[in-house]
Amino acid sequence: MTEQWVITTEDLVKKYGEHVALDSISLKIQYGATGLLGPNGAGKSTLIKTILGLIQLTSGSGTVLGHNIATEGNQIRQRIGYMPEYDCLTPSMEAVHQVRYAGELLGMNPTQAMQRSHEVLEYVGLRDQRYRTIETFSTGMQQATKLACSLINDPDLVICDEPTNGLDTKARGFMLDTLFQVVKQGGRSILMSSHLMDDVEHICDRIVMIHKGQVIAQGRIEDLKAIDREIEISVWGGASRLEDALSHGGLDVRRTGRVMRIVRQDEDTYRDILAAAAATNVQVRRMEDYEPSLEDLFIVIMERLGYSVKSSADLFDSGNTPSMDKAADLSRLGDGTI
Amino acid sequence: MSSDDDPWGLDDLIDTIASAEQTDDGGETPVEDTAPSSEGPAEVAADSHPAAPAAPVAAPPTPEQNVDAEFLGESGLAVTGQARMEAAYGSGDGDEVMHAQVAQPAQVDSGTIFHQIYRPWNGVLNPRWVRNWSIYRHHVYGLFSKGHRPWPVLTKIIIIVVFLGALSPLLMLVLSSLTGADELQRFFGVTRANLWGHVFGFFFNNVCCWPIVTALVIGGLISEDRQNGTSAIYFSRPITRTDYTLMKYLSAASILSIIIVLTYCIFYAVAILVNNEGWSYLLDTFPYFFAGLIAALLLVATYTSIGLALSSVSRGKFFPAVSLIGLLLGSKMLAFLIDLLFETDVMYLISPYDNLAHVGQWMMRLNTTYDFPVAWSFVSVLVMNAGSLYILISRVNSLEVTRE
Repeated sequence: MTEQWVITTEDLVKKYGEHVALDSISLKIQYGATGLLGPNGAGKSTLIKTILGLIQLTSGSGTVLGHNIATEGNQIRQRIGYMPEYDCLTPSMEAVHQVRYAGELLGMNPTQAMQRSHEVLEYVGLRDQRYRTIETFSTGMQQATKLACSLINDPDLVICDEPTNGLDTKARGFMLDTLFQVVKQGGRSILMSSHLMDDVEHICDRIVMIHKGQVIAQGRIEDLKAIDREIEISVWGGASRLEDALSHGGLDVRRTGRVMRIVRQDEDTYRDILAAAAATNVQVRRMEDYEPSLEDLFIVIMERLGYSVKSSADLFDSGNTPSMDKAADLSRLGDGTI
Repeated sequence: MSSDDDPWGLDDLIDTIASAEQTDDGGETPVEDTAPSSEGPAEVAADSHPAAPAAPVAAPPTPEQNVDAEFLGESGLAVTGQARMEAAYGSGDGDEVMHAQVAQPAQVDSGTIFHQIYRPWNGVLNPRWVRNWSIYRHHVYGLFSKGHRPWPVLTKIIIIVVFLGALSPLLMLVLSSLTGADELQRFFGVTRANLWGHVFGFFFNNVCCWPIVTALVIGGLISEDRQNGTSAIYFSRPITRTDYTLMKYLSAASILSIIIVLTYCIFYAVAILVNNEGWSYLLDTFPYFFAGLIAALLLVATYTSIGLALSSVSRGKFFPAVSLIGLLLGSKMLAFLIDLLFETDVMYLISPYDNLAHVGQWMMRLNTTYDFPVAWSFVSVLVMNAGSLYILISRVNSLEVTRE
């Protein structure tokens, strides 16, 4: 792999009439696992189609695995494995033949495609079920077959659209572990679109957040989490007094019963908390830095867009998205390189 | 104690356990982890229930055994319930070294059930024509072998029946050759009318055979890709929509050609062979045969265009199949009724079959059975094909990769 970036885009714009699906998207995605997050209608599907080289751009440019997305769609798709969110399998075909056919469509020799089909079906845990027709498969097995189809040519980049959709806990765990292995053991890159923060956090070390066609955050998850550093304390007696005191002291406090989370502004925040506790005669029984999850990060970013959300699930209801005016005013998070 | 008094050998086992317990320091007796474990003793959990050794559990309790002794895995000791409370509530000061007797997973020392190892592939991907060939092969080979497009069994049976039915004139041809009867030769031999009739004869081929086979072949060819979402498999790979449409078209046309054109050619070849005809006969009849061949290909192309257009506008195979039969036969029926009522046959221009038959008559230099010029029929055929292909292409362009 001679290319430095797996995906680069420069001011990518795609309009459908008056509707702007992608609005000046500039990305630089490194090799490895990257999560693609965003509410319904944010532009994820359009971005995926762009990466696959399937749509004509209004303006802008980009490369995927070193190939121009505007002119080299076929070369890109030969090196990409795409796992769609929705059903894409022929129900009455046997899994081994479905996967083999997926390989033949890439240009694989039929004999090699068949041999590789056995290999990848074993890899995704369907070795003993590979001669069953797909209509007899559970949702998890169908998802695994889709993954096998996307891995048959040993692609440099695997694009997974909601890979754990409809899976139970066990199947979900296996799917995530398998994808993780593709990255860690196989050394391949993954671009994973999902609305389940835990899934993204399980596999990816970088994310891209899209909202209304714009990138609102991108970068390493650990770096992005730095924007949401909080101190969590457990108090005893007079929690309301302490909350008021902290708020009056200019600190941002979130409280659930005896547990409070205070946004860490600087090193003095610890001293301010203890001083407020001493002043209000409240015992602080525990104080520690709170490690935010990706879910917390998502909520914080959306709150900065001016929208109050309780969980990421609220955001995936397309009716609950904040206005783009606020999004446009938002200073972009991340450095554009992920 | 004799084995007759203690058939399960319980007393020996109890003695063994009691002697082992004498080595303990008494008092608050910890519950020992007796099960083999490679991970060391497990922590006491609130819901963990220490189990007794296997043999005593299976045996009925003796009068001396306390019920709690089974819980503790011991016997013959005073039961205070303290260990159970420790396990459940952790009532001690927290410094005890507690062990729970818990079930351990079986340790597999040899053999591998499943190793998830990612294997790279370093093969070379073939060029565009190989990819296109795979689409064609998938659809056409599916009729004959397993592992390709899973055609329904009923479709396969009907195709075989129609194929054999289209070859049935061969029997009469052979019979006429053997008997030398002129009447049979006129009915079943190679003549312009018979060659035209093989392809364009309304009864029986164009009433039942060709339309039904076409309907079954094209029914799900594109509509099922839309229904099952398999278009994503195609278009997320280096398959262009042009390639996809062209290969689907060629696949359907090839299957129809096997039924219509191949049987037509076989009919002509067998006629030459069984009658032991010479080169002069071949020179005389070949132009008509060739004209009929072109007309047959035109029929296959037109039926395929209309059928695939109907398939591309729907989900599932029922609508395109039924609507194709309705279109082919319904337009013919409508034109026929108007001809009967108003004595004008110009409405046959809306019937694909009649237009093709008219063009076929002209190409084979037969007397036409229509009053309007053949050019009108020819233009009508072109318009039908162009319209169908426009619908087909525009609908294939609407097939989605990410979402349907």
